[in-house]
Amino acid sequence: MFGWEFPPYQAGGLATATVGLVKGLIRVGIEVTLVVPFPVTESPIAGLKLLGSDQHSGQLTVHRVASPLMPYGGVLEYEGSRRSALGARHSVYGGDLFGEVERFAGLAAEIAAREPHDVIDAHDWIAFAAGLRARAVSGKPLIAHIHAIEFDRTGGDGNPEIARREQAGLRAADRVVSNSYRLRDLCVERYQTDPGKFDVVHWGIDDGTGSDEPAIGSSPLGPDTPVVLFLGRVTSQKGPDYFLEMAAKTARFVPAAHFVVAGSGDMLPFLIHRSAELGIADRVHFTGGLGGADLERVYRMADVCVMPSRSEPFGLVALESLLNGTPCIMPKQAGVAEVIQNAFKVDSWDLDAMTDKVVAILKYPGLRDELSERGRHEVSLPRFTLDEPARLTGASYRQALTMSA
Amino acid sequence: MPDICLYAQVHQPFRLRRYRLFDIGTGLDYFDEEANARILRRVAAKCYRPANRLLADLIRRSDGRFKLALSLSGTLIEQLALYSPETLESFQELVDTGGVEILGETYYHSLAGLADREEFLEQVARHRRLVERTFARRPYVFRNTELIYWDDLAPTVLAMGFRGMLVEGADQVMAGRSANQVYAATTAPSLRLMPRNYPLSDDVGFRFSERSWGEWPLTAPKYADWLHGATGESVNLFLDYETFGEHQWAETGIFEFLGHLPHECLRRGLRFVQPSDLARRRPAGPLSYPNPTSWADQERDTSAWLGNRLQDTAHERLYRLGRALRALGDQALLEQWRRLTTSDHVYYMCTKWFADGDVHKYFSPYDSPYDAFVAFMNVLEDLEQRVGADLPILLAR
Repeated sequence: MFGWEFPPYQAGGLATATVGLVKGLIRVGIEVTLVVPFPVTESPIAGLKLLGSDQHSGQLTVHRVASPLMPYGGVLEYEGSRRSALGARHSVYGGDLFGEVERFAGLAAEIAAREPHDVIDAHDWIAFAAGLRARAVSGKPLIAHIHAIEFDRTGGDGNPEIARREQAGLRAADRVVSNSYRLRDLCVERYQTDPGKFDVVHWGIDDGTGSDEPAIGSSPLGPDTPVVLFLGRVTSQKGPDYFLEMAAKTARFVPAAHFVVAGSGDMLPFLIHRSAELGIADRVHFTGGLGGADLERVYRMADVCVMPSRSEPFGLVALESLLNGTPCIMPKQAGVAEVIQNAFKVDSWDLDAMTDKVVAILKYPGLRDELSERGRHEVSLPRFTLDEPARLTGASYRQALTMSA
Repeated sequence: MPDICLYAQVHQPFRLRRYRLFDIGTGLDYFDEEANARILRRVAAKCYRPANRLLADLIRRSDGRFKLALSLSGTLIEQLALYSPETLESFQELVDTGGVEILGETYYHSLAGLADREEFLEQVARHRRLVERTFARRPYVFRNTELIYWDDLAPTVLAMGFRGMLVEGADQVMAGRSANQVYAATTAPSLRLMPRNYPLSDDVGFRFSERSWGEWPLTAPKYADWLHGATGESVNLFLDYETFGEHQWAETGIFEFLGHLPHECLRRGLRFVQPSDLARRRPAGPLSYPNPTSWADQERDTSAWLGNRLQDTAHERLYRLGRALRALGDQALLEQWRRLTTSDHVYYMCTKWFADGDVHKYFSPYDSPYDAFVAFMNVLEDLEQRVGADLPILLAR
């Protein structure tokens, strides 16, 4: 399996999804060899071993290939990431993002030659080249695992080379696993991919997260303060700017409400500035990226979690939020909206609709409690465990094997 | 061999707009006139007019031996007059055949019986006046919204001059007794209770087009055999009128079924009776309903309307405001408020099926029960603001 994010090197939901998938696959009896690039600047043993070190733990093999590839960035972000890596170390990295992708693919092919495997699973365009090279070496079927396409990340055509590589990977793959019907339809429409080779596998969530225990420590804002949460990368795709505009509207109706922006990203300076302009800077809190117990704590101190994403191919945050008993407002178009009933679904640009729901949740405890209990019950159903997506992904693997036999 | 008592409920609510926070105080109308007109006209074309024509024909051809009962909510009659007068005429022509008894109910198809007895009396009286004006008939038998009945209601219904009342033949109430009998209300013994035979009613209402059902396809001769094989005083078949052509589409053969049923029953010696006929019969014994019982769902209780915190919150606020509005005496505001008492509004907030992702079990104009709640509460907020500064004083009374 060629992924890209894996803890502790995590920038967004894909690491959570990859961990979840790998855990689930192992639980349903599928052995996994995971090859991930990871950014040297964040590594404790940064970039010293160029071809990556092999770490064996039980049935899971993680190959970490030292590389500054970042999962969500485009070409410009790569430049920044590479420069910081260069500042610390001598570099043998390719001179541009695509060169780096090719270099990763070359290393991945070497690993594919020596690691026994039955199928190849490559996550998103950045790993497609690796998957294709591995297939050329081993002759095993390739599953393209698609989480988002350039259109989702950029809201338009995006980088033509990335789009070309997405299309090439999707069209060449033996099967495609997509995390929603919407993303499948988008791939079919934009990249003329054969709809017949898609398997839609909605994500599940680790049942280990979200315990019945109250979160450790009380809310630093006080127990009675209404809290509205944004959690995610602070980038245009996730709509944190919509969140602030909604916050300002909400504050007119619920002056006591506080707003938490949990995450980091390129829009942070803009947002800090904007919250002052809107006159709500005293009620907006920027926590930066959170993990572990802090994550659970921030969900539980919130009365509602709002996802104003411009594009949200799946939206794991919704499952995490609901599992922690926090009602969720998700984009109508999100993949998660295809499978979750007990939540509000709105158009992200429709700030009035979003405000309407947020104010209602803050105003009516009955509504908040109903959403909280029903939502939590819903994500606790078997279909949202890790086993279900793993079982469906395994079925897709077997289908690919049958077809290639 | 029992008699056959066929009854159908005809109702449409005034649906609300997706009324938002930012609409409060703007003077925007609460009701979605476009949607209400569209839905009413669609159902009128698919169900009401074809069913009315068919039933009128069946009544005439049977020389009056085939007969039935209907009840039409006030909100339905209003909508017919507004959006489809020809359909209202078609109902009047059907009633003019002499084979249709019209039952009494709350004008607004409301839960006032549960919440506010004074309002209940007012809504039943309004409905009675509307029926007299529209059909020149006086209702003698009562059916409460969704067949909701419990012992406490009987004296009130009797005091309003009704002789009998339709009730649900729920297992927990019947406790082994037959639903095919007429009973006396324990709290008002001269009020007759007629329990619905729910298995035979649901064979038509729910299972008719269900291909996985062992008895599919259900034909009129087969069904008439079942009725003929039943025991007791009368088999009470109580349905939604929308069963014919809307819940069960014409393509399922529901109209052919209905078209042949009277003849198939009559040739087996079965007789059709109406609720007022049954109300004159001697009761088989007393029947007690300790808790509010309805014809809905497996539970047969009121949890489809008052079963979660959304519904309780909205219902409580609605009736609190109603008492204030009556004290204020503003008829225009009261009329707006009364349309909000239609039980469909809280039904849309029902979450009990939603929990397991089964969203197809019921029809709602909203994306979710939560959206239904928010729109409804925003409307109440606006209505409260329109009462103005006197509201706290009125609420305190």
